Amino acid sequence: MRKARVVVIGGGATGVGILRDLSMRGVDALLVEKCDLVNGASSRYHGLLHSGGRYAVKDQEAAKECIIENQILRKIGKSCVEPTGGMFVRLDIDDPEYETAWVKGCADSGIEAKQISLDEAFAMEPLLSRHAVSAYLVPDAAIDGFRMSWQNVESAKRYGGRCLTYREAVGVLTENGKVTGVTLRNNITGDEETVECEMLVNAAGGWAGKVAKLAGLDVGVQPDKGTLLAFNQRLTSHVVNRLHKSSDGDIFVPHGSITILGTSSMSIPDPEDTSTSREEVENLLAIGEKTFEHLRDCRMLRSFAGSRPLYIPPGGEVGRSASRGFAIVDHKNDGLDGMMTIVGGKFTTYRLMAEKIVDQICAKFKVTTPCRTAEEPLVPEVAPEKKQAARQYFPAYGTDLAATRLGPERFDKVVERLEKDPESRELVCECENVTLAEVEEMAAEFSSFQINDIRRRTRIGMGTCQGNFCALRSAGVFAKYGKTPGAKDTLGRMKEFLQGRWKGIRPVLVGRTLRETEMTRALYELSFHVNGGEA
Amino acid sequence: MAKTDTIVIGSGLAGLTAAIVSAQKGQNVKLLTYGSGTLSLNSGVIDVLGYDQQHKYVASPRQGIQNLPDNHPYRKIGLQAIADSVSFFLKLTEEQGFPYGGDLDSQLPVPTAVGTLKPTCLAPESLNGSHLVDSHKIVIVTVKGLKDFYGNIIEDNLRKVAALKDKTYELIEFDSGLTGGRDITTLDVARYLDTDAGLAALVALLKPVAQNGVSFVLPQILGTKGDTCHKSLKAQLGSAQVVETTCLPPSVNGLRLQNLLKGAFKQLGGEIVEDCRVLRGIMEGAKCVGVVTQAAARKKSYYATKFILATGGFYSGGLAMREFEKPQETIFGFPVYFVPGEENWSNAELFSDKPQGFALTGIMTDENLRPVDGSGQVVADNVYIVGRNLGGYDFCFEHSGNGVALASAYKAGNM
Repeated sequence: MRKARVVVIGGGATGVGILRDLSMRGVDALLVEKCDLVNGASSRYHGLLHSGGRYAVKDQEAAKECIIENQILRKIGKSCVEPTGGMFVRLDIDDPEYETAWVKGCADSGIEAKQISLDEAFAMEPLLSRHAVSAYLVPDAAIDGFRMSWQNVESAKRYGGRCLTYREAVGVLTENGKVTGVTLRNNITGDEETVECEMLVNAAGGWAGKVAKLAGLDVGVQPDKGTLLAFNQRLTSHVVNRLHKSSDGDIFVPHGSITILGTSSMSIPDPEDTSTSREEVENLLAIGEKTFEHLRDCRMLRSFAGSRPLYIPPGGEVGRSASRGFAIVDHKNDGLDGMMTIVGGKFTTYRLMAEKIVDQICAKFKVTTPCRTAEEPLVPEVAPEKKQAARQYFPAYGTDLAATRLGPERFDKVVERLEKDPESRELVCECENVTLAEVEEMAAEFSSFQINDIRRRTRIGMGTCQGNFCALRSAGVFAKYGKTPGAKDTLGRMKEFLQGRWKGIRPVLVGRTLRETEMTRALYELSFHVNGGEA
Repeated sequence: MAKTDTIVIGSGLAGLTAAIVSAQKGQNVKLLTYGSGTLSLNSGVIDVLGYDQQHKYVASPRQGIQNLPDNHPYRKIGLQAIADSVSFFLKLTEEQGFPYGGDLDSQLPVPTAVGTLKPTCLAPESLNGSHLVDSHKIVIVTVKGLKDFYGNIIEDNLRKVAALKDKTYELIEFDSGLTGGRDITTLDVARYLDTDAGLAALVALLKPVAQNGVSFVLPQILGTKGDTCHKSLKAQLGSAQVVETTCLPPSVNGLRLQNLLKGAFKQLGGEIVEDCRVLRGIMEGAKCVGVVTQAAARKKSYYATKFILATGGFYSGGLAMREFEKPQETIFGFPVYFVPGEENWSNAELFSDKPQGFALTGIMTDENLRPVDGSGQVVADNVYIVGRNLGGYDFCFEHSGNGVALASAYKAGNM
């Protein structure tokens, strides 16, 4: 039987942060996640590392936390943070008094907001609406949620931390009012197993209420859906925020070769509901095009949604006015010793949330090792001379992309593959510059059960072509390395991969997206004839 | 300046065919084109109708066409014109020295780069997969460094075809010597095989395996010049068969067909004006007298008595939809049919057994292929709509794209 002193349920940012913190303080910990890592809100969001500017008027405590954590993550997560900087822009239709309150809010929260002239703003963001009337620079940044989460796990592993994906908690074992273990179901095989533990940490985000119920407990979590749009190109070079009272569709975040626009806020009953509708898309476009007037001429890659786990204390508010703060609940007070729930909060403050709950756990365990997660980088950087030497094997700017995706150990392994086997230098994904060697390395990983697992690690299929040209190639690699019985069904895997992309394309099937879709279908239905039928 | 009888806009299969048919009648024809059509993307075989509206296989396109819904373009074109267009195409390709085979009453199986067999109506000999069924051994020839053609995937999927299950399979690799630089494509290899040295290298590899009853399956690499390479290769390999698959773009066979059509049009004295974006029509009531174009830095107008619109669908830019439920025909602003409502616009599954609503978007016409409005009233007396900008059919779902392009262009050219 597997044993761990602490089992953390939920592989989102909070969960991986807790795993890392516990491991670094020498507490034996296992993280379990029912899907792949960051299946919930930690990837289905803007990818925005808040400066705190967004909260400067409404919630200064959150704003202060954000600016502190922002500085920390820039330091420890160099390969997941793109320091784009942020810009707040007020348009002529926006309330000037809000600007005054916001400037003061930033000053009070310790966020440096530097006013710039409109000429400077237009020079930095040429596509910006000429209805802009004032602009400020703040230290916002873009952050890759997939990468950050995996790097937390990598870091935890160096200290003995463990992580199992596709394991869902289905039962909590107790004895005399104390947690003794947890029952897990393997969502690939359907097998169940029991893990013995002293402490169970419920970090299941939108699913925290469901996990609490396994132990007969009640936790008020309101899943709050946020819908976002991904655009085919970098529309901005900064994170661009509308300087007005927070609403839907008013933040643009550039990521690699794309831009993400969001987001809405809608209470939903089920955190699994990540569907998006034309109405939500239309709403985001209608607001977004105030800031960037040519928005509708840009190709949308897809829409997607995630649910924020808003903590609702009894009698609390829901929706956009609900607090983005977090809460730690020790269920000892509910009569169950050895179980804690952490809920609410936001991606930017995941590390702080982890620190706070791990402080409490360590106090219980009488562990006095201090938290060091703010000092030590998540992964060491790839040495510049190694990158230089590897440049010959990668396309022009592919070396840095690969180095940030892979971290030093895997980078070495991939470079070794590239050296030995020149054919593995082939680009599987031209959009994101992913070589065959990298896909093979990831496909062979313990955590790669589906093509989509490889996609989240390597970014294949996430760029401009949305899988048009890499679905076949990755299915080929997967047939070779896949661990599931269906891995060899290449047509099935290819269709599954494209279907995954389709879910997000359907609600944005307008404008240039239609064009791309017409091609996708022609290639796969006609040139490859994947939709079956006799011939 | 000679008076222009017919102006064709667009140089895909539909535009080139309409231009040839018009020119064959002795007309003075100008073809205005901005891009280069989609022949370089599609496999250049003529799918007339592969699947019915429930996605059941259609063994005879001639039969299948008669069961299509009334608003399908084929119903407007009519069976006679469709049959005539097939005869026309077979004759044209024969005359041009790159003959296609097939007929309207059956399907040819064309192997694809993933090892499925796709039904098509007309195909050149090199893509005719019937030979696979008759052989006892299938040798899959991959090309070193060529992406998107994986021998093991092709073998796995060919083995799933009942008639090919018990064949013997072998994989061999052709080294074209082109690797080491940028990624290579089928077109690079095809150009290499246009040369004597290239062909000799391939023969040297295949000859030892080329016994009676062997079929070679290759990506679309057998030269860019019609069937020249395929014929020479076969001549040197005795009785073994050589079959190409459809591949991801660039489509070598599509380019072969494009060259054939452009050549035929030029032989007939036709003129192709390239890099010429048609901005709008010059209408006098319901009659079009000319079009305004943008070429380089200046605008220029062209005048004619008849116009054929072959600008394609969403992909090619003949149709656009900047906002939901507001589709547009981009030159004349003709009325565009579409399926309203988010729930009907697309299916939950990308690949399923029903057509996609959005794919039906296009221009509806009368039986003479002239655009009509919602009430069926013709809105332009001398403009004819051909190819993908026609509405009411999902060419991907039913496998009918090039067939509709060919038949509508043939009919419009003869109007």
